[in-house]
Amino acid sequence: MNPPLHPSQEGNTRPAGRIEIPSWEGLGVGSGATARLALPTLRSVRLWFSLAVAFALFAASGCATPQKSSWVRTGDPIVDGHAAIAQGPAKDKVLWQYRTALEALRRGQFVEAKTLLDDALLTIGSISAGDKEAKKSRGYFSEEARKTFRGEPYERVMAYFYRGVLYWMDGEPDNARACFRSAQFQDSDNENKEYASDYMLLDYLDGFATVKLSGDGSDAFRRAEALSKSVKPSPYDANANTLFFVEFGRGPIKYATGEYHEQLRLRVVQSAVRSTRIKIGNQVIETGAHDDLNFQATTRGGRIMDYVLGNKAVFKATTDTVGDVALIGGMVAASNRRSQDVGLGLIAAGLLSKIVSAATTPAADTRAWDNLPQYLSFAAVQLPPGPQTAVVEFLNEQHQPIEALTKTITINGAPDRDTVVFVSDRSHTTNNL
Amino acid sequence: MKHLFHTSLKFCSGSIVCSLLLGCASTGVKNPSGVPVTEMKADERGFVAGTGVESQDLVAVTDKMARKILSIDQIVKAQGTPKVYLLPVENNTRFPINRDLFLDRIRAQLNERATGKVRFLARTASADGSPQRIMQALERERDLKESGAVTSNAGQPAAQFSGADFLLTGKLGSLTTRTSRGVSDYILYTFQLIDVRTTEIVWEGSEEIKKQGLEDAAYR
Repeated sequence: MNPPLHPSQEGNTRPAGRIEIPSWEGLGVGSGATARLALPTLRSVRLWFSLAVAFALFAASGCATPQKSSWVRTGDPIVDGHAAIAQGPAKDKVLWQYRTALEALRRGQFVEAKTLLDDALLTIGSISAGDKEAKKSRGYFSEEARKTFRGEPYERVMAYFYRGVLYWMDGEPDNARACFRSAQFQDSDNENKEYASDYMLLDYLDGFATVKLSGDGSDAFRRAEALSKSVKPSPYDANANTLFFVEFGRGPIKYATGEYHEQLRLRVVQSAVRSTRIKIGNQVIETGAHDDLNFQATTRGGRIMDYVLGNKAVFKATTDTVGDVALIGGMVAASNRRSQDVGLGLIAAGLLSKIVSAATTPAADTRAWDNLPQYLSFAAVQLPPGPQTAVVEFLNEQHQPIEALTKTITINGAPDRDTVVFVSDRSHTTNNL
Repeated sequence: MKHLFHTSLKFCSGSIVCSLLLGCASTGVKNPSGVPVTEMKADERGFVAGTGVESQDLVAVTDKMARKILSIDQIVKAQGTPKVYLLPVENNTRFPINRDLFLDRIRAQLNERATGKVRFLARTASADGSPQRIMQALERERDLKESGAVTSNAGQPAAQFSGADFLLTGKLGSLTTRTSRGVSDYILYTFQLIDVRTTEIVWEGSEEIKKQGLEDAAYR
């Protein structure tokens, strides 16, 4: 950014009708040049000039001030989430619903998680064409973050994935399958088609739900096999009645880079946990990461919005440069008696261009679902109905359990439907299912 | 010249002031007075729309199915009143739905249009065949009658539930296409009436709906 303009004070004394042109030291324009102008005109010019500068400063400071939260953080993610949903900006509602739903899921508050996800899915499931806020966010003078948050594909995928888990928990494997399919669909719009719809677990679960519904899941299984990277999918066991959905690590975080923060980037941190071990009865099941959200998020490729933001950045830089050139040219021209009018016109145009540049907002939207995991894992076992105690260990790269993360879960196996167990390395309490 | 310059400068500055005021105003609260409730018909396409299953689809599909069921010989010319057992539809689409909604509306339509022509059994089962609360409640009631804990109408055996003559069920299947030009979802709704004695499919009806849309570039 160029430094703001600093017009100096004019001289205190001057002969009538003969004035000092304001110095523009900051721009390297020599001061003290004289010109002949009618005094009333000069006053008007300076009045308007001052007004324009004042408004430019107002635009640069007042409009850029971030909105203050209308709610107070308590430190409890669920309480804060609900406060943000109820009192925060409507454009961030879905973001808070995502965050709060996942937190509720990790606490075993499944009804709450369902309610929040259902509402969020209504937004991301609708077609955004004609959305006025989305349209405005593509404009030069509106930031991308003014659009209603729906999230990048990896975030939308996870919203459907979690809802699918909850549907299965409720004994609705067909609706769970619908969610897994919608989740996979959210990942289909990649710039690089090699990485489109490449969540292995989603295809695997699609097929597994089909098997549970007495259908043929072989197509989905083959797709899952083809997508598998480190962990090969286990063959479906239609009699497996206890399903473990396990997640661990920390998911990607967005940040912006570029001269005007117009480039959206993702920061990823490798999880210390690499796999899990589930001990239940006399069974020990080890399972690795079926899907890596960091990989998914960073292989999406460019967005259409990146081009829009790139154009905004070029526009901002161009208008800024044009403003500089016009102001300097105007100063030079105004220092000459014969081209003084032209010079002042150029100064006004340059100032206008600088204001337009300052008002252009190419910054990328960095709002992110910031409590997502890095890895998704799954295991299905056959257990007799009734209470069971399971121990889930999170293993590091050396295949050693990280003791602090170990969870003990009491499962109440249902006699007439699948029992679904959701475990996160960030679960706050042991679940009773 | 001076006048022209003066006027231009005023215009420029005025424009700046206006654009700034407008720019700042646009970051304010949207719809500060709220949006009044808009009552719509269930078969009307609302302003909030996606490419999935919506109320207008449900109404269109169930209306058509109910009309067709009432015109088939097995119902029209049946001796006695046929009894129908509803099995929730299977959702094979990418859209999670309330599976009971379709059959609930078909049942309501049939009951409204032809009272007494068909009867429905108050048993429901989930798509995976597991019993639901109504069946459990009925069985509990029957057991109470059998045990003599509660009374039953004289001459009527307490232990017998009515058997179904037909089973009505359905299936939703979908085909999704996504390209840079948009998203397209085709959904095929099929319903079957099955004779439980012979396992014959005595009637099958279908309805297909295709929708497409394109996301705003801000989300692509």
